[in-house]
Amino acid sequence: MTPIPHATPSRRQVFGIAAVNFGLIMFLLLYAGIAILQPNYLEAGLFMNFLRRAAPLIILAGGQLYVILTGGFDLSMGAVVTLVVLAASILVNGDPNATWPMIGVLYLMGLAVGLINGLVVAYLKVPSIVTTLGTMLLTNGVALTWSGGAARGDLPDNFRDLGRFVAHDVWLIGTLPMAVIVLIVFMVIAGWGLHGTVYGKRAIAIGDNARAADLAGIPVAATRIAAFVVSALAAVTAGILVGGFSGVSVNAGSGLALQAIAACVVGGAQLLGGRGTIWSALFGALSLFSLFTLLNLAGLPQALRDSIQGLILIAALGASAWRERRKA
Amino acid sequence: MSIEARPQAVRFGRPFRFSFAFVLFLISVAIYVCTAVVTGEVNQLSLAGLSGLFQRMVALGLVGLGQTFVILVGSIDLSVAALISVVAVLASFIMHGEPAMIAPAIVACLLVCLVAGCVNGMLVGFGRINPLIATLGTGLVMQGVLSTAFSFMPGSVAPRFEAFAYSSLFGIPYPVCLLVILAIGASRVLSSTPFGARIYSVGGNPEGARMAGIRTERVVLGAHLIASLFAGVAGLFLAARLQSGTPWVGRDGIYDLESIAVTVIGGTILAGGNGGVAGTMAGVLLFASLDASFNMLGVDAFVKQVLRGAIVIAAVAVHAVGNKEHVA
Amino acid sequence: MTDAPALQMRGIVKAFPGVVALDHVDFDCFAGEVHAICGENGAGKSTLMKILGGSYRPDAGEIRIRDRPMRFTHPVEARAAGISVIHQELSLLPHRSVAENIFMGREPSRRGFLDRQQMRQRTAALLAQLGTSTDPDQRVGTLSIASQQRVEIAKALLFEAQVVVMDEPTAALGERDTQFLLQLVRNLRKDGVAIVYISHRMPEVMAIADRVTVLKDGRKIWTRPQASAEVSAIVTAMVGRDLKDFYPKPPLVEPKESLFSIENGENAQLHGIDLHLRVGEILGVAGLEDSGKTALAQAIIGDVPLKVGSMTLRGKPETILSPRRAVAHGMGYVPADRKGEGLLLRQSVRDNALLSLRAMAACFSRPNRGALAYSKIDDELCSMDVRAADFGQPVGALSGGNQQKTIICRWLAQASDMLVFVEPTRGIDIAAKAAIYETMRRFVDAGRAIIVISSDLPELIGISDRIVVMHRGRIAGELPRGSSEEAVVALSLGLGMRERQDAVV
Repeated sequence: MTPIPHATPSRRQVFGIAAVNFGLIMFLLLYAGIAILQPNYLEAGLFMNFLRRAAPLIILAGGQLYVILTGGFDLSMGAVVTLVVLAASILVNGDPNATWPMIGVLYLMGLAVGLINGLVVAYLKVPSIVTTLGTMLLTNGVALTWSGGAARGDLPDNFRDLGRFVAHDVWLIGTLPMAVIVLIVFMVIAGWGLHGTVYGKRAIAIGDNARAADLAGIPVAATRIAAFVVSALAAVTAGILVGGFSGVSVNAGSGLALQAIAACVVGGAQLLGGRGTIWSALFGALSLFSLFTLLNLAGLPQALRDSIQGLILIAALGASAWRERRKA
Repeated sequence: MSIEARPQAVRFGRPFRFSFAFVLFLISVAIYVCTAVVTGEVNQLSLAGLSGLFQRMVALGLVGLGQTFVILVGSIDLSVAALISVVAVLASFIMHGEPAMIAPAIVACLLVCLVAGCVNGMLVGFGRINPLIATLGTGLVMQGVLSTAFSFMPGSVAPRFEAFAYSSLFGIPYPVCLLVILAIGASRVLSSTPFGARIYSVGGNPEGARMAGIRTERVVLGAHLIASLFAGVAGLFLAARLQSGTPWVGRDGIYDLESIAVTVIGGTILAGGNGGVAGTMAGVLLFASLDASFNMLGVDAFVKQVLRGAIVIAAVAVHAVGNKEHVA
Repeated sequence: MTDAPALQMRGIVKAFPGVVALDHVDFDCFAGEVHAICGENGAGKSTLMKILGGSYRPDAGEIRIRDRPMRFTHPVEARAAGISVIHQELSLLPHRSVAENIFMGREPSRRGFLDRQQMRQRTAALLAQLGTSTDPDQRVGTLSIASQQRVEIAKALLFEAQVVVMDEPTAALGERDTQFLLQLVRNLRKDGVAIVYISHRMPEVMAIADRVTVLKDGRKIWTRPQASAEVSAIVTAMVGRDLKDFYPKPPLVEPKESLFSIENGENAQLHGIDLHLRVGEILGVAGLEDSGKTALAQAIIGDVPLKVGSMTLRGKPETILSPRRAVAHGMGYVPADRKGEGLLLRQSVRDNALLSLRAMAACFSRPNRGALAYSKIDDELCSMDVRAADFGQPVGALSGGNQQKTIICRWLAQASDMLVFVEPTRGIDIAAKAAIYETMRRFVDAGRAIIVISSDLPELIGISDRIVVMHRGRIAGELPRGSSEEAVVALSLGLGMRERQDAVV
């Protein structure tokens, strides 16, 4: 008895467009709200500034997306950011010549964390929630031990400029922050990795059905490890930017991993894998950040930001669950 | 309409290790005793030393008991840390140092817990929202509201209430007695009541349970209510011990992630359907004895955190050994 | 037998979008009778039983239990009416005891606490009734599959069911356990239970049924007493066409050159495996459930590799330690569990067909250029006649036959030269089956080879050039094209092996 396949438009494409639309629409709406409260946000200058401050979250979301697509979670991102900020201050210690070599060292640290995450999940078969929770505690501990629990040393200007330098008199847009350049470069690379290479397809395959992927020849372990490495490297990049404009603090990374996950979810990526695009990360993060900005401008206390974030998460997932049930 | 199914059954490949909890218990005792002997702090092995050890277990133990119910049913609760803080602050605020207000404070706090548990249970059980995100969301909402409202809620607990945390019954501190009683009660509920049996059924095979006529949503709701109530008791205990509550009590103690860790380490699987109170208590004992041992060895507080992270991963890896399936 | 049947279903109609699953089907069963239902996958047996069990609601028609009309909205209601369905997928909780499993959802309690004593006693009584002495407190996960099934049956019998439906109960059982089960069914019949027995296994149907009904394409073809229902009549009614033309013709040239061989292969489940696969041939592997035929497939494709012994591929010795290696060496796997092991259900048809190409391509290459181009894979899909509204559609929406064709496309695109099929046409309708057999023939005729592992003997005999029969992890014997089912079954029961051993002595 052959069921006649119905002539429905390819669902995935429809959803892809819908996801882009949803995240993009959310962002536009929220930014409109911001503009209402503070009209000069519509100026290129302030928009660039907005992008600059949102850059770390967007980068984190981009990295987290890789892990989410393979079906996991990376809770250690925030700890890596903290480590980067503290380690940078100690290693560079105010010496501008040390900046670039030390940035290399920071990326190596990120690579180590990513490898640990990936190897433990892929070979020791510990679920990523627990693994990255463990590496989060580990990394935080290392960061705090090393720094003695307090910000030490200083970040020289050429380091901080990565986060806060702004080029002026740029053609057309007026100002162009360094952070935005870093953001664009990162997102282009991340987007290429996901959509322009075979790797991205492999990651999604694993998230959809790791067993089938394995039997079809996909190198499951390697793909997973790579995803965690990308996530960790994204955290390092975000950490460098954060160190740039916020300076050094022991709480630099607090809560960032969850924000990154929230951003991806809001943007349409599916938890436990199988669906998501780079636009999910981008527009989801932009939406989330504009929400925070909007709440700030509206005078809401910082702490309530957490509450709103919670509500958004629930709403986004509730909507997604409802959508799934309607399909079934 | 193709019938893909063939009889699937799960078979235990190797003889089941009986009472993993007992093994864990022995390991914890061994660690504690050996460290005490090696460092010469033999007074740690006296009644006073041991009761100090058990005191350390109370807060995490209480939360762990609640988390066990939730994980057994196939869900998870990340809002416990925030709820602990809410209860601690609320209790202090209502009591305001007056012994007469002890009872109303306790009642009010437990009511708040019921509401929180209800919300969690509804979102996860009826709304079918991913429990990780749902409880993360409710936790964030509570945390945000609390942090904002805290400045309007000063207070401290009544001296009699505080005394409860510090006095003992025949040399055993009251809170420890409370933990033991509640642990035994929880264990009885799980092993000897229809509700407990249904928790295992829903966690082990939600579809099968539904087909058998079990109201799975209600069971999930019940588990979340229990988890929130236990978190509330932990909050009350902490308020008594610290004389007053702050919005960071829960977060500082990392109660959310650690309660999950001890439950999983104790042998309750994240997927649900297997495990129990004994395992969780053994896990809490392990953490407490490690903590005490680290103290005896003079290990730096931050290094402790590093080690904790490694231990979480290692302990869960032990369980996962031999698991051939893909894990995300 | 009483006057009114214990169970009566009249004029049942059930339609899903695009397909009519049941078209005015009548069915009845008397107390103390075993009524067998035979039919291809997709004939409607499963749907009929789901309606009886309360999982589906019929679009038309009525159900009567002891002549009282019934309407079920939930499986619990069907159970309360005395109907117990034992499904193919066991719904047991492996970490819980036998008693706890049996009483799932209906735990007896005394003053709020579980009445474990009652649970234990009633469980022991039920198990005794079924002729087993399993300990009620034993964890289900430690039981053999046959024992687990008995627990499942006990669970179904808990409330003195009047109608028991068994859906392919012996699919996972060995010979001895099958006989045990049939005896159990006879005991139930003696107790006055009405038993509906769904099975593909003709020997069992002949052994146990009082009446036989054949369903095909959602319609009842006939119902006859067992005495006047011969196997050939049943099969003809099920298939609806002459078996001879159903399977493709044998190869024109006798296969000679060796493509793949195993010598002295061993692992935890296989012993002394010597196997040859020649270019241009379809090698069938038969055997009962614990014969190790699935383990053989897993060993060949590197999922559960051989520990001892050697494999040779096109004359060169190779060690295949992972599926990825197998794919790299030109082997393709088409698993029995399509949805669980073969497909990415949420991804598109194209993505599924491109899966292996993408797995083996260089990591940073473009996902849809060159060999991976969408146009190329679309051509491949079209030539396999994969029916889908659009190849960008999620593959989960396709029928079983089209899903299987998609997987085959994957390996064609990968230019594999050896395919391993396990249960190639399970859950697929007749037309698609014939198409797949045709594809297999064309594949090997082009200078490649296929190993087919199947529990469907007629199918295996029809398409294989040679059949290797396995028994308890060893190869019991080899049979040429055109062998009888009896010969295959004899070897799979280990009978032939004894002869061989005698011959050696």
